[in-house]
Amino acid sequence: MYGWIWRKLPGNAAIKAAISLLLILGVVYALFQYVFPWAEPLLPFNDVTVDQ
Amino acid sequence: MVASTDQEERADDSPAPAPRRRSRRGRVLTAISVFGELLITGGLVLGLFVVYSLWWTNVLADREAKKQGNEVRETWEESGSGPGELDTKGGVGFLHVPAMGERDILVKKGTSTKDLNDGTAGYYTEPVKSALPQDDKGNFSLAAHRDGHGAKFHNIHKLKNGDSIVFESKDKWYVYKVYAKLPETSKYNVSVLSAVPKESGKKKAGRYITLTTCTPIYTSKHRYIVWGELERVEKVDSERTPPAELG
Repeated sequence: MYGWIWRKLPGNAAIKAAISLLLILGVVYALFQYVFPWAEPLLPFNDVTVDQ
Repeated sequence: MVASTDQEERADDSPAPAPRRRSRRGRVLTAISVFGELLITGGLVLGLFVVYSLWWTNVLADREAKKQGNEVRETWEESGSGPGELDTKGGVGFLHVPAMGERDILVKKGTSTKDLNDGTAGYYTEPVKSALPQDDKGNFSLAAHRDGHGAKFHNIHKLKNGDSIVFESKDKWYVYKVYAKLPETSKYNVSVLSAVPKESGKKKAGRYITLTTCTPIYTSKHRYIVWGELERVEKVDSERTPPAELG
């Protein structure tokens, strides 16, 4: 999978590495900004109140 | 020229059967390696989620709490030193708990996830309506996060009987003393919020404070409860000199 992406990226190894880094940063950003805030309330780690 | 390169390519392609045999085995290997890479990816994502929950939400919440806290203090200054009617919009005041290593926890109305995620503590409006510190009798009941989102009550287990909890409003310091705790109770135990919290051993109406958060650390299986009783009230002076307990 990652090998396939690596081969699909244009340019020489340095350019590929740079693009890969950007892709990784993009994915981490999307996770922190959208995915985790959405997933967090669905998980039972952070309920602090007593309730009926 | 063109024809000759075509022939060369065809010549290169000619040993076809061998790669096809390899590719059948290759496909299985590819499937296995893709599966493995997905597992690794899943592990990394879970690791990142831990980083998010325990670090990043704190960064965001502390920033937000500081901003909102400053706004409250500014409003207090602007509205002058007259006997303050309580402004509950931005927050009612600040909680200081030296034994927990926490100062200036902004206290706001309501315990919804959205409010608490701003790195603040909230006083209950449901299921049991909290009293406010200035009320003659009642229980001032609060909730805040144990982990992540500011983790304001992270060190609640460090509170011992006799430790002080100080609530700062616009014109008063309310000094409470811890007298009882419940290290583990059901999350459905709303009786801990009662005006007279019987489980803490009290039978008569008084001016109590209740802190609730989740326990054990990093999960929400149970609730941790700490009760305090009002010891004295001090007027805020022009310098906002904190009471001795916060010295």
